[in-house]
Amino acid sequence: MTQNAEHVLDHVELFRGPEYQQMLANKKKMFENAQDPAEVERIREWSKTPEYREKNFAREALTINPAKACQPLGAVFASVGFEGTLPFVHGSQGCVAYYRSHLSRHFKEPSSCVSSSMTEDAAVFGGLNNMTDGLANSYNMYKPKMIAVSTTCMAEVIGDDLNAFIKTSKEKGSVPQHFDVPFAHTPAFVGSHITGYDNALKGILEHFWDGKAGTAPKLERAPNEKINFIGGFDGYTVGNTREIKRIFDLMDVQYTILADNSDVFDTPTDGEFRMYDGGTTLEDAANAVHAKATISAQQWCTEKTLAFIAGHGQEVLAFNHPVGVSATDELLMALSRISGKEIPEALARERGRLVDAMADSSAHIHGKKFAIYGDPDLCYGLTAFLLELGAEPVHVLSTNGNKAWHDKMQALFASSPFGQNCHAYPGRDLWHMRSLLFTEPVDFLIGNTHGKYLERDTGTPLIRIGFPIFDRHHHHRSPVWGYQGGMNVLVKILDKIFDEIDRKTSVAGTDYSFDIIR
Amino acid sequence: MSSLSARILDVFNEPGCAKNADKSEADRKKGCTKQPKPGSAAGGCAFDGAKIALQPFTDVAHLVHGPIACEGNSWDNRGAASSGASIWRTGFTTDMNETDIVFGGEKRLYKAIREILAKYDPAAIFVYQTCIPAMIGDDINAVCKAASRKFGKPVIPVNSPGFVGSKNLGNKLAGQALLDHVIGTEEPDYTTPCDINLIGEYNLSGELWQVKPLLDELGIRILSCISGDGKYREVASSHRARAAMLVCSKSMINVARKMQERYAIPFFEGSFYGIQDSSDALRNIARVLVARGAPEDLIGRTEVVIAREEARAWAKIGSYRPRLAGKRALLITGGVKSWSVLAALQEAGLELVGTSVKKSTKEDKERIKQRMGQDAHMIDDMAPRDIYKMLKGAKADIMLSGGKSQFVALKAAMPWLDINQERSHAYMGYLGIVNLVAEIDKALFNPMWEQLRRPAPWDGIAKHGHPNPMVLAQTDGQAAEPPALLEVSRRAKRVCLCNTVDRGTIEDAIRLHGLTSVDSVRLHTNAFGGCCRSRIQDILRAMSGSQPPAMQQAAE
Repeated sequence: MTQNAEHVLDHVELFRGPEYQQMLANKKKMFENAQDPAEVERIREWSKTPEYREKNFAREALTINPAKACQPLGAVFASVGFEGTLPFVHGSQGCVAYYRSHLSRHFKEPSSCVSSSMTEDAAVFGGLNNMTDGLANSYNMYKPKMIAVSTTCMAEVIGDDLNAFIKTSKEKGSVPQHFDVPFAHTPAFVGSHITGYDNALKGILEHFWDGKAGTAPKLERAPNEKINFIGGFDGYTVGNTREIKRIFDLMDVQYTILADNSDVFDTPTDGEFRMYDGGTTLEDAANAVHAKATISAQQWCTEKTLAFIAGHGQEVLAFNHPVGVSATDELLMALSRISGKEIPEALARERGRLVDAMADSSAHIHGKKFAIYGDPDLCYGLTAFLLELGAEPVHVLSTNGNKAWHDKMQALFASSPFGQNCHAYPGRDLWHMRSLLFTEPVDFLIGNTHGKYLERDTGTPLIRIGFPIFDRHHHHRSPVWGYQGGMNVLVKILDKIFDEIDRKTSVAGTDYSFDIIR
Repeated sequence: MSSLSARILDVFNEPGCAKNADKSEADRKKGCTKQPKPGSAAGGCAFDGAKIALQPFTDVAHLVHGPIACEGNSWDNRGAASSGASIWRTGFTTDMNETDIVFGGEKRLYKAIREILAKYDPAAIFVYQTCIPAMIGDDINAVCKAASRKFGKPVIPVNSPGFVGSKNLGNKLAGQALLDHVIGTEEPDYTTPCDINLIGEYNLSGELWQVKPLLDELGIRILSCISGDGKYREVASSHRARAAMLVCSKSMINVARKMQERYAIPFFEGSFYGIQDSSDALRNIARVLVARGAPEDLIGRTEVVIAREEARAWAKIGSYRPRLAGKRALLITGGVKSWSVLAALQEAGLELVGTSVKKSTKEDKERIKQRMGQDAHMIDDMAPRDIYKMLKGAKADIMLSGGKSQFVALKAAMPWLDINQERSHAYMGYLGIVNLVAEIDKALFNPMWEQLRRPAPWDGIAKHGHPNPMVLAQTDGQAAEPPALLEVSRRAKRVCLCNTVDRGTIEDAIRLHGLTSVDSVRLHTNAFGGCCRSRIQDILRAMSGSQPPAMQQAAE
């Protein structure tokens, strides 16, 4: 009736029409038994007060709008970074559908991942049969070079032993004896997706380096000149990994990117469907044991993995999502020191350009207040960059940050005059952030797509940096690391600042300050 | 063309201009602006000067007669604020093409005027002459006259093609156009004994509005502001004002003087930049108005307002003075701003190391001398290279200038603040000076400058994988050891045993970030174990004497 076949409206416009508005209003009036709007408004206002904030922060059991995901998501993310690897999540299939949709919606790419589809009887009697059948089916259907196993809570709660299950499955002929099936226990009730990333990567390296679950001799490390690089769980992996490769190449350093998922999350459209694309070759994964050193771009994503690698005699080095000039300086100097290679003029010029760009526009960022939430390393990297720019990252919140992260963040604040009134909030969620934004307002919020509700609710403009970003496309293709990445972040922030000035000055009936020169 | 050159001569012969009055008869004929030197970088042309002087009239359509070059590169580039009409922002041009140039562009201009009136019906149209139609002999005066008569709307020719000279000359030719065609052509609805004109005030970033409430409070009416947030009707009836304040003496002195001659409107030069100047300006307004018949109590009421506003502004600035005291500023700007901004800066505790006087009159220079003392460093015309040298030599902590010099300052790693027309902050009046001081404070303490001055950290540390022996010689006193060996030994010494951090890493971090405390070292190096505190302290102690001073500064 109201929809017209000649001119079909989509939901963005359709339900704003008077007929639907009327319908919704009637429904509310006649059937919803609505509260007095004044009372709703009173409560809403109360929820913005310091008093409410205190109650909110006293919350013990309930997490509201978490800014974290579960371990297997990180495990899947790490696993697809290896050549021809099919992530296989042992547990219920519903979970796996989430990881696939999560990754697909962020990267706008298909995400291949299977599950052992455990059901009620598997939960009662154990998931061995599901593992056996699952491995056989996925091996035959999807022809992977490797199957990387992780787990959902369901399998963990009943205590399925992956090592034994995989062994038994192989004995039953699910997959060939020498087919690589690394594994990691990744229960969601411990840690978050960054923990899962860490566990899965460690599981894969352990598999290759330490004798493939007792089926092969352990590798003897014969040190060479290569450097391993680990990106960690990173929504910008496509752009960042390519940027890191470019930097390595410019410096003429030999390297192995471990868990290189930059191709599988950015396959070309040329008529061929690539279930697997690119990735660290299994040979490189094994030979990574011989490297001189391993650099992790994200400390909190690789705590166990780095400890494991250090145990094999390599120098290990961790950064915190290196964004900005100083962070990139440190990364390059570490690279230069370890490799003995000089930092080339090309990179020095990129540095100069970033510094130049920051100088040109820093007056607009200087003195602005920000709130940031996200994974602990991302928060740290962005905070450091904002302090470099003279901004005040007043609230930095990480649902999956821990006490050590909190201490390191506070030390970072203490190192800058702009960090004096800033606080780190580990283990808090976006409902806590809401209280922070109402009681101690800031100029801008940095976070993932979920921040758009905070933006609408609190009126704090959102700068989308993080994971997941569902409602903006393709930003994952541009790096945020390195000097060029710093430039991208700078531009993202500036764009929002200028948009905001335009928005505030674009007032009907007035003609001042809505200028073309900013 | 003869009328144009006669008019230029007339504009040049400005008795109101002190600089001009000092000249010999022969020099005066040559005019007051130096012809641009071929081959050297020059500022804007006369067209640009005329356009920017008049563009802030908000209910007027500004039509540029010429090829796309003139309007295409400049439309809507003025941050003057309008309280109502927005037609002034719209870029109108005849966009002349080859045929127009061969056959003449007058018809096209006439049609363009007709089309603007049909589509927008503005209060008036200002038609700007540019080089090309002037060269081919388009007579815009005649076209405007005909159009005016035909359509019954004011169509004002602004005869200031670029080639006649500088931007400043263009300002004056624009003023002349107002005198010839606009001022005195209409009558105000009513007059009061407290009506004034502001001449040469452009309401950039709305800064006039920071002063206007004070005038309103005193019952002083701005009959016409030429041209900030101005309306055609206001300027057309501005000849009924009792007095005038000349805000930018360089751009429109001819308007003020001729209005004095023609309509006996006394004027004085003043400025709303800085506390003292704002107070002086208010006092002068009150004084001249009372002299012309305004109620006597205006003077007393003005003093009350001044006392209140000064107290408030000083209280706000007070908090900045300790931070800004002794900071050295270099001021590169022209005209009225050099001495009025100078006073403002001194009020904020800043020390002036120099100010440009390129466009300043002798009187301006006298004022500067009064403010800065006899040894005032007045810079006549500073090439970017010399500005760069001055900044690089750290003779100044901050440069205040127009947007064009911004990039010179930045390349010299110098804090910089925009005080010309493209700026985005309003600095006029008592509030404005607080804004300015706040902005200077922000600029000076922006951490960017530290970053900017610091060379790439690897420049001093590792080349070819080896530490730079020079640096090590300064810091370690171990330069006798060959660099390669030294590097190996630096790396071999484990300082933090728990997290395997070596001495070299810690030293590099200290040098790179100018670290001074164990905690900051730990933050940067991951040397978080329990037992290495004293070893890190030893390294810090050993290195603290030998850090380059810039680094120490940065760390503090």
